[in-house]
Amino acid sequence: MSSKSAITTLSKTQLADIFLGRVSRFPNGARVVPIDQAEDSAARAEFYAKVADKSAAQMKAYWSKIIFTGRGQPPTEVANGAEMKRRIAENPDAIGYIDENLVDDTVRVVQ
Amino acid sequence: MTAAASRDFSLSANLPGSLAHKLLVCVLVSIMWQAAQADAEDPRPSMFSFNGFGTAGVVHSSEAQADFTSSVFKPNGAGYSHNWSVDVDSRIGAQLTADITPQLSAVVQVIAEQGYDNTYKPNVEWANVKYQFTSDFGVRLGRIELPTFLVSDFRKVGYANPWVRPPNEVYGVAPLTNNDGVDVSYRLHFGDITNTLRGAYGSSYKLNFPGIVVDTHNLWGIFDTAEYAAVVFHASYLQAKATVDPPSPLFGAFRQFGPAGIAIADTYELSNRSVSIVTFGASYDPGGWFAMSEWTRIRSHSFLGVNTAWYVSGGYRIGKFTPYITSSQITASKASDSGLAAADFPAEFAGTIAALDAGLDTTLASTSHIQRSNSVGGRWDIAKNIDLKLQYDRTRIGADSTGTLINIQPGFKQDDTVNIFSATVDFVF
Repeated sequence: MSSKSAITTLSKTQLADIFLGRVSRFPNGARVVPIDQAEDSAARAEFYAKVADKSAAQMKAYWSKIIFTGRGQPPTEVANGAEMKRRIAENPDAIGYIDENLVDDTVRVVQ
Repeated sequence: MTAAASRDFSLSANLPGSLAHKLLVCVLVSIMWQAAQADAEDPRPSMFSFNGFGTAGVVHSSEAQADFTSSVFKPNGAGYSHNWSVDVDSRIGAQLTADITPQLSAVVQVIAEQGYDNTYKPNVEWANVKYQFTSDFGVRLGRIELPTFLVSDFRKVGYANPWVRPPNEVYGVAPLTNNDGVDVSYRLHFGDITNTLRGAYGSSYKLNFPGIVVDTHNLWGIFDTAEYAAVVFHASYLQAKATVDPPSPLFGAFRQFGPAGIAIADTYELSNRSVSIVTFGASYDPGGWFAMSEWTRIRSHSFLGVNTAWYVSGGYRIGKFTPYITSSQITASKASDSGLAAADFPAEFAGTIAALDAGLDTTLASTSHIQRSNSVGGRWDIAKNIDLKLQYDRTRIGADSTGTLINIQPGFKQDDTVNIFSATVDFVF
């Protein structure tokens, strides 16, 4: 999360709903823009295993269902954690995941 | 009538729609193409997304006197026509999505697969424009998917499904995958539950088969999907009016035999009769395994009768392997009718009456799908966008029925077991 965002906590289900495209707003009504790391990255695999209990192949199959019914597209992708941090810091609506040691005061960690 | 009867209820997607609709599709495709060309020189992120999917598959059936296939719209399959058929599951699809403004978007999807004319001529599967009034309320116009079952709106995308194909017993009763008309979607949030209610209304369209046309109109349906974490519930109801044109000569002949014959024709003839489908389904997919089940009933006051079908399926994920089992069944309310009693008519009509009664039985048997399948299979995710699947189905065809098989030959044995082997490679890009 950007340090400018009002959101401080999200449940695992709320986080999963955001990244699975089921909701387009935070629980407080603000717009949410999820951002993904690169498809082959370890960070992405770990994030979806923890939040959605899904492997990379399961996520690919999940998005195939959404894409091929014209219901949506997966989150925008960025190349790496540093790029992710920059995108999150500049957009109060953005949410993503980065390695712990990349965290600084431009972003906020949600529990 | 037999061959036609087995394909009668076929509100197809692949067949040409109305002229107005074709125009809409052409205009959409051309606007999107021109915009895509202009977009190619624009350094900003594209408003276009291009995606594709496909399946390459082979199927073998042990029943040489009938064809096994995946849709009533296909003219042949594995068994009688081909020892190993590539036509049952193979297809390729491409889709262009345009996010024109945050509210306005358009999608065109084209699929090439074996059609009724036995060619792989591409067909427009969907082509619609969507206006999203709020994040939870949207309206679409054009050719839109019909979410009759849990996976029916992506039943052709093999990669998105756990099996080689959705269970024929359930998905075969409602082969229509799209609707030309309007669709309204309203999403509601109750805590962590997301409920999506959809309504669809369709304009009339004609389905052309050799020698007959099935005219359907006034198609409407309501569909509800509730999602909570790993749980999905789905229920739907849809209805359409259907007429076979020209009227079957069989029922015309029955009408020559007084009140008893007219009663039979009135009972079974498909002439402006409503056909309705009810479905219920649920799935649970916590990640390491999945289980899902669906139930459906299709009802019409015609020779199509009432069919009830269900399946239960489950799988377990071991790394890149997902073995699964499925049990499915379809039953029919009525597979035979005693027809006219020869004793009630003068002796010279005995031969004609026997022929009519036999014709009625053949028609009823061909649409009274009675079968039970047990299937075992596995999916192997061999690359990040490619899977390989193997599946074995053991199908018991009911007495007085030809199950969901087509191209029935004279030596076909009812009340018998058919073994079906399938192998597919699915991909998305």
